[in-house]
Amino acid sequence: MSERTFRQPSVLPGFGLTFGFTTFFLSAIVLLPLAALVLMTASMHWNEFVHVVTSPRALGSYRLSFGASLIAASINAVFGFIIAWTLVRYEFPLRKFIDALIDMPFALPTAVSGIALTTVFAQNGWLGRYLSLAGIQVTYTWIGVTVALTLIGMPFMVRTLQPAIAEVQKDLEDAAETLGAGRFYAFRRIILPTVLPAMLTGFTLAFARAVGEYGSVIFIAGNLPMKTEITPLLIVIHLEEFDYRGAAALGVVMLVISFAVLLTINLLHTWGRRRLVATTR
Amino acid sequence: MSITLDQVTKRYSGSPVVNDVSLDIGDGEFFVLLGPSGSGKSTLLRAIAGLTGVDHGRISLHGRDVTHVAARWRGVGLVFQNYALFRHMSVAENIEFALRVRRMRAAARRARRQELLRLVALEGMDDRLPAQLSGGQQQRVAVARALAHKPEVLLLDEPFGALDAKIREELRRTIRQVQRELGITTVLVTHDQEEAFALADRIGVMNLGRLLEVGRPDDLYARPATRFVATFLGAANLLLARQTARGICVGEDPVLARAGEAPGGREHEVVAVLRPEEIELAPNRERLRTNYMARGMIQEILFAGALERLRVRVSDELASAQIVRADNGDDSFLEVTRTQHEQRVFPLVPGQEVTIGVRRLHVLPTPLSSFTVCAPSEAAADALMREPLLTELATRMKTRVASRVEPMMCAGESASAELEPSFIGAAVIAAQSGAVGCVEWLLHRGAEQVLVLPAGAPAPHRVVIHWVGESARRATLAVAASLLRHLSAEAVYVGILPAGPVAGAQRPLGMRALLDARSEAQAVHGLDIRTELRFGTVENELAARLAESADQLLILGISDAAELSGRFASLFAQPLRALLIVYQPADGARR
Repeated sequence: MSERTFRQPSVLPGFGLTFGFTTFFLSAIVLLPLAALVLMTASMHWNEFVHVVTSPRALGSYRLSFGASLIAASINAVFGFIIAWTLVRYEFPLRKFIDALIDMPFALPTAVSGIALTTVFAQNGWLGRYLSLAGIQVTYTWIGVTVALTLIGMPFMVRTLQPAIAEVQKDLEDAAETLGAGRFYAFRRIILPTVLPAMLTGFTLAFARAVGEYGSVIFIAGNLPMKTEITPLLIVIHLEEFDYRGAAALGVVMLVISFAVLLTINLLHTWGRRRLVATTR
Repeated sequence: MSITLDQVTKRYSGSPVVNDVSLDIGDGEFFVLLGPSGSGKSTLLRAIAGLTGVDHGRISLHGRDVTHVAARWRGVGLVFQNYALFRHMSVAENIEFALRVRRMRAAARRARRQELLRLVALEGMDDRLPAQLSGGQQQRVAVARALAHKPEVLLLDEPFGALDAKIREELRRTIRQVQRELGITTVLVTHDQEEAFALADRIGVMNLGRLLEVGRPDDLYARPATRFVATFLGAANLLLARQTARGICVGEDPVLARAGEAPGGREHEVVAVLRPEEIELAPNRERLRTNYMARGMIQEILFAGALERLRVRVSDELASAQIVRADNGDDSFLEVTRTQHEQRVFPLVPGQEVTIGVRRLHVLPTPLSSFTVCAPSEAAADALMREPLLTELATRMKTRVASRVEPMMCAGESASAELEPSFIGAAVIAAQSGAVGCVEWLLHRGAEQVLVLPAGAPAPHRVVIHWVGESARRATLAVAASLLRHLSAEAVYVGILPAGPVAGAQRPLGMRALLDARSEAQAVHGLDIRTELRFGTVENELAARLAESADQLLILGISDAAELSGRFASLFAQPLRALLIVYQPADGARR
C-alpha cells in the first residue's frame, strides 16, 4: 500500500529526495518541538493538568486570547478588503508608498509596535485623549488587545487579498452591470464570492498570528489577571516561576484550540474551492 | 434605427480614442466594427453598452437617447472576449442572473433558461460550472446569458479571440444563426477581417479612433475609398499612378483606359489599389491577355493551400518607388496570388522573368497621393525629410516622400513659363521667414497642396479647416478628409462672418453654411467634423484660433494665390504653426 503511494510517477523529478527533505524538515522544526511539548505535559498528573488549564485565570486568558484574535481577524477581513481593493483598483499618488507601508507591521519588532500603540492610545495619547472623552478606554482593556492584534494581522489579510482582487476582472462587474445588477448586488453576488477563498486564507493567517502574538500586546494590555492577560503571557509567567510543566500544559491547550479553529477554516476553504475548480460532475 | 451614434467622442487624457463617430445601425442588422487594436472600436462598443461615458455626442437606442443612461438600464446584452462568466455559479445560475436581478419567478426563469440553452446548443449542461466547460462552450453560455433579459441590442467584444480556429468557425455559425432567429440588432467588434466578411451585413472600419468607411463587405473590398481600408481588408498593392487623358498610367502605357475626371485634362498623381488576384503573369507581352504594366522577376513563391502567393520584383523601367507595399517595407515588390489553374498553365520558379498585366485597378478618391519635399539646398531638404510629423504621416499613409532641390524657390522671383509646369503630390516646405513667397512660387509651378512645416512640429491634436471662396470648398474638404484619416486629431470647420451690427442678422446664414459644410464632409468624404462660428475678419479670427493652443494644424483653402501675401500675410508672420494650403483656382482650369 505504502509502496504504491510512493512509486507514483511524478511530474517533478527527484521526488524521493524532496519528499525526504520535507519530512525531515517538518519533523525537526515542527513535529519534534510539538511532541516535546506534549511529552512534557504527559509527565503531569491528570488532575494537576486539569487544575492548571481550568484555573479561572487560565480560562479568562483563553477567552481574551481567542476572542480578541477572532475579533481582530474579523476587523481585518472588512478593512483589509477595503485597503486591498483600493490599492489594486485605483491609481493615486503615493500608491506605491502606501503599498509598502502595509508591510511595516511585518518588519517592526512587535515590542516597538506595542510601545507605539500605547503612546497613541494612552489616556493622554494623541487618539486616546479624545477616545477617553467619549468614554472609551483603549489601553489596559480588551479593546487595546484587539487593536494591537488587528495591527499585527492586517498585512496578512491585505497581502492575501491583493492577488485575488486583481483576479476579479473588471469584466465581471461590467457583465453584471449590463445584465441589470446594481453595484451592491454585484458586490454581494459576484465580487464577494470570488474573493471569499482568499479572504478565508487571510483570516486564517491573521488569526493564527494574533493568537501567538505576545510582544505588542503586553505593553498595551496592562496585563491585569482575568481581565487583560493573554494566554502567551500567562505561559511566560509560569516560566518565570520555573513552572515549566504548567507552561507546557497551557501550551497544549492553545495548540489544540488553534488546531481546531484552523482546521475548521481550512475545511470551509476546501469546500469553497471545490465549488470553483471541480473537475467532475 | 436601432442604434444611432451622433458625433460620439471619447478622450483619454486629452487625446481622442473615439473621434467624432456618427453611425446608424438598422433594426436586425449584423454590424461588424473592424479595426486594428487601439483603433477605438472596443471603446466605442463599451460606450454603446454604457460602460464608458462619452465626452461629446449622443447615443440613441431605438430612438431613445441613452447618452446619460447607466448600463443597467440600457437593455443591451454584452459578450466579452474572456467570457466573463461568474465562476462560482453554475451554467443555469449564470444564465438566470439577469432574470434573478429582475425578480422573475423560478418557473419562468427555468423555462427561459431551457429556451436559451437550446438556442446555443448546450442542452443539459445546466448544472455544470464554467470551469468544467471548454472555451467554446463557455462563450456559448456567455451568449445565452447576454440574451436572457431579451435585450434590444446584442454587443460582442471580440468574442472569438481566445478560441482556436475550428471552434471559432463553429461558434461563428451559431452566433449568426441565433442572430437570424431572434432578428436582434447585433454589433460585433473584431480585428479579424475574415470574421467580419463571414458575419457582417455591413462593416465599419475604424482606425485611430475614426470610423473610416462603412459599407457592405463586397463593396468595401472592391471599392475602398481609403488606403487604410484597401490594405486592411485583404491584401493590396498600393501604386502611385498618373491619371492622364489616356487613362491611368503606372509605366508608360495606360493600364486602365478610363475617361478620368482629371480637372482640365491635367495629368496628376493618384493612388491606385491593385489586388494580388487582379495581376496576370505571362511569359511575354504577346501572351498577356490584359493590359501590360511592367516586366518583373519572381522573387519568392509561397504555396498556401488553394492559392499560390508570389512576390514579384518589378524591373527598373517602372520606378520602383511607385509601388508602396502595405507593410511599408523598403523592398518594393508586387504581391501576386494565382489560382491552381493559373499555376498549371504557366508554372513559375523563383528568378524567372515574367511580364505583368493588370486585370483591374481601383483608383482611390484621395487627393493626397505623395509628398515632395522642396528646399533651396540639399541639406535643408534632408532636414525636412526627417521631420517627425512628415515621416509619421508618410508611414501612416503608406506613401513616398520625394525630395526636390529648388534653388530658385524662395528667391522672390516669379516662376517663368519655361520651367517644368507639372508638380506631383503635395509639396512640403519648411516654415521660415519668406515662406509665403515659397508657397506662391510652388502654386505657380502647379502644386495644388503645400504643407508648411515648422521644425519639430508634433502631430496636431486639432485640425482647423477654413476656405476662402466657394471654388476651394470641395478640394479643401477632400484634402482634409484624406489627411484626417491618418491623424488622431479633432477636425473643426471654422465659419467666419464679418463682425458688426449686422452679424446677428447673419447668424442663421452662418449656421447654414456650417451645417452645409458638415453634411458635405460627411456625405461626400465620410469625414465627421465639428463646426464653430466666429465673427470678425477671416485672417484675424484664424490667427486667434491658432493662437489658442500649440498643436494645431490649419488647412486653408484658397482660390486666389495672391491672397496669401496679401490678407493672409499675418498667418505667416507669427511663429508659424503647421499649415496646409489647398489651392483651387476659381475657373477650374489652370494657367
